[in-house]
Amino acid sequence: MKTLIRGGRVIDPLQGIDANRDVLIENGFVTQIGEHLDAAGVRVVDASNAFVAPGFIDMHVHLREPGQTHKETIATGTAAAVAGGFTAVACMPNTEPALDSAAIVSEVVRRADAAGLARVYPVGAITRGRAGAELAPYHLLADAACVAFSDDGSTPRDARVLRNAARYAADLAHCFISHCEDADLKGDAVMNEGEASMRLGLDGSPGLAEDVIVARDLLIAQDTGKAWHIAHVSTANSLELIRWARGRGVRVTCEVTPHHLAFVDDRFDDYRADSKVNPPLRDARDRDALRAGVLDGTIDAFATDHAPHGLDEKAQLLSAAPVGFTGLEIAVGAYALALPELGLERYVTLLSVNPARILGVPGGSLAVGSAGDVTVFADRPWTVDARLFRSKGKNTPFDGLTLPRRALATVIDGAVVFEHGRVLPREEVPA
Amino acid sequence: MAPRSLLDVDDLAPAELVGVLDRAVAFRDALPSRSLLAGVPVLNLFFEASTRTATSFTLAEQRVGADVISFAPGASSLGKGETIADTALTLHGIGVRVIVVRHHESGFARRLADAFDGHVVNAGDGTHAHPTQALLDLMTLRQEFGRFAGLRVAIVGDILHSRVARSNIVGMTMLGIDVTLVGPATLLPDAFASHGVRIERDLDALLPSLDAVMMLRIQRERISGGLLPSLDDYTQRYQLNRARLRSLRNDAVILHPGPYNRGVELTDDVLDDPRSRYVAQVHNGVFVRMAVLDLLVNGAAVAA
Repeated sequence: MKTLIRGGRVIDPLQGIDANRDVLIENGFVTQIGEHLDAAGVRVVDASNAFVAPGFIDMHVHLREPGQTHKETIATGTAAAVAGGFTAVACMPNTEPALDSAAIVSEVVRRADAAGLARVYPVGAITRGRAGAELAPYHLLADAACVAFSDDGSTPRDARVLRNAARYAADLAHCFISHCEDADLKGDAVMNEGEASMRLGLDGSPGLAEDVIVARDLLIAQDTGKAWHIAHVSTANSLELIRWARGRGVRVTCEVTPHHLAFVDDRFDDYRADSKVNPPLRDARDRDALRAGVLDGTIDAFATDHAPHGLDEKAQLLSAAPVGFTGLEIAVGAYALALPELGLERYVTLLSVNPARILGVPGGSLAVGSAGDVTVFADRPWTVDARLFRSKGKNTPFDGLTLPRRALATVIDGAVVFEHGRVLPREEVPA
Repeated sequence: MAPRSLLDVDDLAPAELVGVLDRAVAFRDALPSRSLLAGVPVLNLFFEASTRTATSFTLAEQRVGADVISFAPGASSLGKGETIADTALTLHGIGVRVIVVRHHESGFARRLADAFDGHVVNAGDGTHAHPTQALLDLMTLRQEFGRFAGLRVAIVGDILHSRVARSNIVGMTMLGIDVTLVGPATLLPDAFASHGVRIERDLDALLPSLDAVMMLRIQRERISGGLLPSLDDYTQRYQLNRARLRSLRNDAVILHPGPYNRGVELTDDVLDDPRSRYVAQVHNGVFVRMAVLDLLVNGAAVAA
């Protein structure tokens, strides 16, 4: 099977390419990158007036399977991923049951293969059942295809447990991914603590709830030498702590979501849960610090924290509604909306190069011999209509907004899985 | 055009607010006929226990001739968000035109009003707002001083959990009252300072300069919740008592939305003090609520 991505502006930071090139993929791998490649007898993806990048990888999504298939399935989640321009996603372990055994992880992999869309990289739990007490079997989980470990959705309260986990797993290259939120400081909060929460009479979670856990985890990372990744950074102080830790030699990376870059905590005047998320949308000072952190290189990766829920669940009162919303299908445009000044090379680095590097998975480059995973995208404004999402989650604070950029085509292993607005299951790649 | 609902004080323009107070005074001076809301079905929907407010609303509704229905579902499943729209639709279908609602969650009244094709009066939602209480407080202040602009008022105590304080902050600042909030940082975070009001931790320093002081109820569970070390520690700094009454000017007044905790935020001396306006507040509440219902249902053009 041969596929030619023709006529696009190739952005490949690792090769230092930013030029109009054709990309030829044969048998799942990039075999040529050059000008005016022969298109005879190959499947052609027209990328004229568009950008061509190594496939985008979302290292933080919730596919809800097993256990919560009314919110999302691996099939619907990966359909949303490819429709959003992502060739791969890392799925978090807060499923029911949690991804804390090789058998469950293997089942996720099997269902992802059956769906035949985006690559799915499971993230294993740090503690059994994400209960924060007993260590998960890291080597078994790694053998079963886990690419990192996290108790995402929460964090072990007991620092000794987390330290032991990091020490035990030190011989694995897999990083620990921290959901930094102190449950006690957060309390019953439904939004950020600040002027808006005071005015609205809503319980607020202070930025401090994130900062103290970031500090704790960075110190444990320093102590154990474990590679660490801080998920969905949302405060200016967290970024300062990360810079401090790097200065001390700690191996730490971090990600930011589109919603924390785009919005602040002024979205609750109607008391609807559409923007309820953890960590909560912060204030303008934090948002501005996050934007600066992307531009100055402190933030390594874009990640959506795609967290679909049923519309009826999100329609509940603020206190009862679940946190999070869908993100895969708006991400490419949302990042561009929040950071119009961000250069394309850095944009691709945050969406592809760095997620691949942090997770240690294929991708991040279109060099000859690389996996044939490609995202074609363009600066073409479009208006979000969440009702049309492939994801079962139809809720996003970006609904109704016009975004400046969108994915046009998604190619995995040389197979075109999304093009012309249609999702196409991956064909079997001949051996 | 009159607002459709009263969810907080700022649903009223300043002139409208004063108009409501004028109308309430007129009703107090001479009760209107019972034809103002004759036959209008009004539902009192109280998810939270209430004595003063529920009774006051009921009396106000009866005095303007409404068909009053009272329902106290408690914290039942009706409070769950997925049924708000259905509930609103059902109630409208039954014929209810006005819902007076109290709920333990901030924003419930707003969510109900968004779904209900009629008038909603917020009788207290979570820690967010209690507009008719603020209106009756304002009515009491105007009765006392004949004006709002330049009055110096302190609100003292648990501001964080007080819907009364929030609505009063909105209403008082709207009318040019100089508002100072007083309390410990755990019950009065610095973030309140951005509402156009000042924060003061030292009640003693402030008292002599005040025209009015509004004391808020302090709940004992704030100690178990880790917000107060002890009631003794709190009262040492913030209780209005005999000693502090001496600092308060003779022409100043003391307000309390009730229910009060004797011996906590105030002592019996305060309740016996001639500057206390607790009874006037409660009395004014009925007329304010009559005026609000009249405004919402009949609009501004109907003379009192």
